[in-house]
Amino acid sequence: MMLLRAYLRGLREGRFILGYTLLLSLTLFILAPFMMIVLRSVGKGWFGRLWLPPQLTLDWYRWAVEVGNIPEVMKNTLIIGAIAVILSTVIGIFAGWAFGRRRLPGKEVLMAVILLPRMIPPITYALGVAKIFYTLELVDTHLGVALAHVSVCAPYAILVLSATFEGLDERVLEAAGVCGANVLKRFVYVVLPLIMPGILASMLFSFTHSYNEFTLTLLTYGPHTVTLPVRTYLAVGDGYWEITSAMAVIMVVPSLLILAIIQRRAKPEKLVGGFKGV
Amino acid sequence: MADAMIEFRDVTKRYGALVANDRLSLSIRRGELMTLLGPSGCGKTTALRCLTGYVQPDEGRIFLDGKDVTDVPTHQRELGMVFQNFALFPHMTVRDNVTFPLMIRNLPKPERERLVLDALRLVRLEGYAGHYPRQLSGGQQQRVGLARALVYHPKVLLLDEPLSNLDAKLREEMRFEIKEVVTRLGITAMYVTHDQGEALALSDRVAIMNRGRLQQLGTPEEIYESPNSRFVAEFIGLSNFLDGSVDTVRGETMTVATSGLAIETRALPGAAAGQKVLLFFRPNEIELLPADGESGSNTFPAKVEKTTYLGDTMDYRLVIGDGADLRLQTDARHRYAVGEAVRVRLPRVRSWVVEER
Repeated sequence: MMLLRAYLRGLREGRFILGYTLLLSLTLFILAPFMMIVLRSVGKGWFGRLWLPPQLTLDWYRWAVEVGNIPEVMKNTLIIGAIAVILSTVIGIFAGWAFGRRRLPGKEVLMAVILLPRMIPPITYALGVAKIFYTLELVDTHLGVALAHVSVCAPYAILVLSATFEGLDERVLEAAGVCGANVLKRFVYVVLPLIMPGILASMLFSFTHSYNEFTLTLLTYGPHTVTLPVRTYLAVGDGYWEITSAMAVIMVVPSLLILAIIQRRAKPEKLVGGFKGV
Repeated sequence: MADAMIEFRDVTKRYGALVANDRLSLSIRRGELMTLLGPSGCGKTTALRCLTGYVQPDEGRIFLDGKDVTDVPTHQRELGMVFQNFALFPHMTVRDNVTFPLMIRNLPKPERERLVLDALRLVRLEGYAGHYPRQLSGGQQQRVGLARALVYHPKVLLLDEPLSNLDAKLREEMRFEIKEVVTRLGITAMYVTHDQGEALALSDRVAIMNRGRLQQLGTPEEIYESPNSRFVAEFIGLSNFLDGSVDTVRGETMTVATSGLAIETRALPGAAAGQKVLLFFRPNEIELLPADGESGSNTFPAKVEKTTYLGDTMDYRLVIGDGADLRLQTDARHRYAVGEAVRVRLPRVRSWVVEER
């Protein structure tokens, strides 16, 4: 709104017209497809060359919930997400400690290996994962799908937490030791609070990746482990554009919530740093 | 030593081929403030870390209050320590930082509060209890560090270059503050620094370290006025050195031949003619005289090579004898120009002789 008003004022006064036009086009370019889906999900009798739907309705959402079995699917998605978040963050803490605080021989090579699953095209990687999971009977289990997700979530967790541990001041831990804290107390009272921003960031990364993961889920899911992205994709195949749009909008809600949380709550600069000099 | 609070007995620590502490033996008396002084890499920090238990010595034992603590883990050694980078807990308020050692020791709450208040009062920060370290200035943060180190009345206080991260003016202030607090509490303190000014101003005794070894141990006066080696003389204050050999010895005085001059100095105990010695003068002990003035003993012609105006003093580089450099500082009232011929009088009594090693 602010931008629009500034744009209009710019037009009137004949200043920055080019800049504002570019900005406005960019915004439209990013937002247009999303606006399309939102309109589609609430529009009724929207055919032909009409610019806007003639009638508004929430029916598609009801259909999505009832026919598309969204609550069940949402539950699956969240369970899988939670398992993936916990596993990746635990792996991230241990690996991050090793990468960030120890002198490892061949650290760069190891890091590259860990990041490899992200470099291989997802479908290639997913095919291999599916083959193994069929053998292990992990297909169509929450744990199985979550494990597949961990292969892409964990590298992020490791990356983020390595940086966090690297930023941890050795001298502060030493100070805690001199103050009388043993290893456990040092971890609980000093290390944990100081790496909390890293853990939060790692959890958010892992969750969004698991939540949005499509390729890996597609090759490891089953009737009991349908996730939101997969369900939406299947609905496309069924040919109901309005219901698919409603599902797509529903899927965006948690992502927006997370974005809000990141912007409001997680302020890493409040937790790290804190001394001058050095 | 009976009343030693801290004792290093033949402590050796190697890092690969590098010997950080080479059979270091040192004992610090109860209630004494001792400074470990030396250039970086001399092993002073390693010695400190052996004492905190952060580093395990390869050989030798460390005693604290008569007890062998070599194998005692850090958190059971009952130490207080102030760090160069302050090492405060950034996620805790000043109050929580200072309470931390007491919380770890499970002290009852009323006693905790009383001790924390005492400690904060000691460093004049009682108004800052609710602040976070990042909200404080460097000097204030270091005072919090001091309060945290002292709050549980440890046996000894360790200070690891506590002033290096502060600006010059603050350093001066904090120097006196630390000295005052330590004196008031009568606590045994080990102070590690590379700053000779701090060492001289603060210490009861100074231990100068070089390449992992103890080079000289003494009061600040002893260290400054009679360094036992060229290394110590160079490290503490400005120095002039003249290589020479003993010419004649007559009772309390001897004559040393150096750079074409015959300089009279206090006799070295057991000195014999022909012995190689190193003469050592502080720049402010040498008298600068006009070229045409009276001549006396130990007065030699010299030529001004370079002058530097330092505000309250003038710094001269002179050439004396057959080309030896001499640096001296006098007050800036009468000045001599570059190239001007002058005379210098070398001190006779206060000229110390360092044995050539």
